[in-house]
Amino acid sequence: MSLFGTSSGFGTGGTGVFGSTTTDSHNPMKDVEVTSPPDDSISCLAFSPPTMPANFLIGGSWANDVRCWEVQDNGQTVPKAQQMHTGPVLDVCWSDDSSKVFTASCDKTAKMWDLNSNQAMQIAQHDGPIKAIHWIKAPNYSCVMTGSWDKTLKFWDTRSPNPMMSLQMPERCYCADVVYPMAVVATAERGLIVYQLENQPSEFRRIDSPLKHQHRCVAIFKDKQNKPTGFALGSIEGRVAIHYINPPNPAKDNFTFKCHRSNGTNNSTPQDIYAVNAIAFHPVHGTLATVGSDGRFSFWDKDARTKLKTSEQLDQPITACCFNHNGNIFAYASSYDWSKGHEYYNPQKKNYIFLRNAAEELKPRNKKW
Amino acid sequence: MGRKKKKQMKPWCWYCNRDFDDEKILIQHQKAKHFKCHICHKKLYTGPGLAIHCMQVHKETIDGVPNAIPGRTDIELEIYGMEGIPEKDMQERRRVLEQKTQESQKKKQNQEDSDEEEEDEAGPSFQQPAAQTPATYMPPMAQPGIPPGPRAQGMPPANYSGMPPMMPGVPPMMPGMPPVMPGMPPGMMPMGGMMPPGPGMPPMMPGMPPGMPPHVARPGMPPIAQAAPVTAPGMPARPAVPAAITQSTPTKPLFPSAVQAQQTASGPSSTTSDPPKATFPAYTQATASPAAPSSSTVAKPPATVTSKPATLTTTSATSKLMHPDEDISLEERRAQLPRYQRLIPRPGQASIAAPPSGAASGMITPQQGMPPQQPGIRPPIHSQYGAPPQGMPGYMPPYGQSAPMVPPYQGAPPGPPMGMRPPVMSPGGRY
Repeated sequence: MSLFGTSSGFGTGGTGVFGSTTTDSHNPMKDVEVTSPPDDSISCLAFSPPTMPANFLIGGSWANDVRCWEVQDNGQTVPKAQQMHTGPVLDVCWSDDSSKVFTASCDKTAKMWDLNSNQAMQIAQHDGPIKAIHWIKAPNYSCVMTGSWDKTLKFWDTRSPNPMMSLQMPERCYCADVVYPMAVVATAERGLIVYQLENQPSEFRRIDSPLKHQHRCVAIFKDKQNKPTGFALGSIEGRVAIHYINPPNPAKDNFTFKCHRSNGTNNSTPQDIYAVNAIAFHPVHGTLATVGSDGRFSFWDKDARTKLKTSEQLDQPITACCFNHNGNIFAYASSYDWSKGHEYYNPQKKNYIFLRNAAEELKPRNKKW
Repeated sequence: MGRKKKKQMKPWCWYCNRDFDDEKILIQHQKAKHFKCHICHKKLYTGPGLAIHCMQVHKETIDGVPNAIPGRTDIELEIYGMEGIPEKDMQERRRVLEQKTQESQKKKQNQEDSDEEEEDEAGPSFQQPAAQTPATYMPPMAQPGIPPGPRAQGMPPANYSGMPPMMPGVPPMMPGMPPVMPGMPPGMMPMGGMMPPGPGMPPMMPGMPPGMPPHVARPGMPPIAQAAPVTAPGMPARPAVPAAITQSTPTKPLFPSAVQAQQTASGPSSTTSDPPKATFPAYTQATASPAAPSSSTVAKPPATVTSKPATLTTTSATSKLMHPDEDISLEERRAQLPRYQRLIPRPGQASIAAPPSGAASGMITPQQGMPPQQPGIRPPIHSQYGAPPQGMPGYMPPYGQSAPMVPPYQGAPPGPPMGMRPPVMSPGGRY
């Protein structure tokens, strides 16, 4: 099953028309298209935190840029500003007060972008591309956490060029998530480390991976008391593991489920298994969304262990996703993720970011078990 | 346990080696996974039944049982639940299971305070009844035996705990956990050891015979309170022990203080290694794990790295992993391309160009944002370059480790994306 047909130049089927509603499959879900998307694959998306009354969306891309859009309540998106790195941007995050955006790039630096002044300055330096960046707001400190392919996890007070702390990891950082006081980092070679952030960040536990393939994305979820209690880990093998940190019964509480695969029941043709590119939890319902290389997104209820919805297939992989602060908007980016290698890359192909109303579709099912 | 079971092990599926709690569930599984017709989805009862159905109804032959692991796909073997499994495979399975349980038992036994050996020594001492006072609970705590004083009273609790087979005056059995251990599910051991006797006691009480609590409680309480291993009163608590454990667990904070963190870390982590194994026993169908050993173990991440870019097995008979062969992340692969490395400063090329961001002082207080009136304000990133580093001492010193300075920009900014910037926020940063 070829996603792009023949790569004969400029797309197939009306992709050149901006915002077209023809039957090409770039937007089969008929979701709102964000205007002025980046020119290369989108690596990360982040919505502004609740401290900002309006919804602002930040997207980093392989075109070295980070863009900011305002998402209005009527669905319109207004491009607001942009910043550049000298290398592809791999991750972005907001500060808790919505005034700063932190961007991490292959150019081994991370920057702090002050939105009020539209100024960005470097706040971090690594020996390798920085793959993950998160803002940590603790009662007694605040800092930026950066995870890099140089196998270190560093914590930066944005005022100083030297890190407050540097922790060695067993392998390159592939993805991370932070919900105070917990941080999870998944590394190459299926490494999985949980950190606790109280007082100061320290390694809490190294976990044997519940998955047998390369880790790709991770997202922390919270319990009914809004405390982080576990995480969802996605791999390149179309599978997500739900793992609790201190479950009463690990054998029963932790589980994995398959997702982003083709050919459900048919035994005769080999099943295509796609990578899970990103996982995001709905901030209100606690249900989760996964997006994959197969160009679909799915919503799941991890407590009822059921799937809520799977989208139609887009013509490109979905590379990033996120919810806004109140869970009304689900944003997902459609662009090439390199899952089929260099040959299938078409620089002319347009990249998209879509916005979907997420208030209804992510409501949890009634518990069945 | 003392009950001789013919097929000691839990029901398991011969076709895919998965374990099940119940034979009924096993049969349901077989019907749904192995004996289901792929054409009409009708569920048959056996492999030969499926073959016959396909032939008669669909005029199609099938050559193997669906979803079976290699070597177990024989369509002609009539297997139903646990019946019909060839004896050879049964024995092999038993052996494998025994090895597994021995390994995990050994592990858990090692964690305990070598109760077993000391229990044997204390065995004979139980023959002397009533000579020792309950106060001898103390020493036996180091040895886990129960002093014979309470022994007489201790026996009935053994009774009430529902262990009649052990009852008949077998002193070594009396002490509770240690002799019980071999028969007990391995999971009991650590629970007995870990259970805080304080909170554990109350749940035990109801299980004791009415006459018991006064006997056991009074003398038993203080010494038991210090005892880590479980004593006879611990036996009836077996059902209650899980309750005690689960009660205490939720009240613990997510990240207990450092000391506790180590204890709890060792506890849960020893159990987390097992569940993944149990959850994916039939994993052999999917693609093989990348650099890790056989699918029966969960390999430690860094342990098996041999060559730099290890390769994945991306294709198997039943599935195809849509991922390049090397076991590096997609982003790493992509970032290696020259087109994405063009602008990234190389070591040695670094020149100290001014980070064209605002003056250091202006950025320090995030809340205030940058007062636009600041005289020292630098032009924003996109516009000018080569501005000499004036008054920016805070940023000139090398960041972190790398010796060469890595300035954010070396060359002209890429043209096209610039045009996208909307007029709403002036790039000049001036208001």
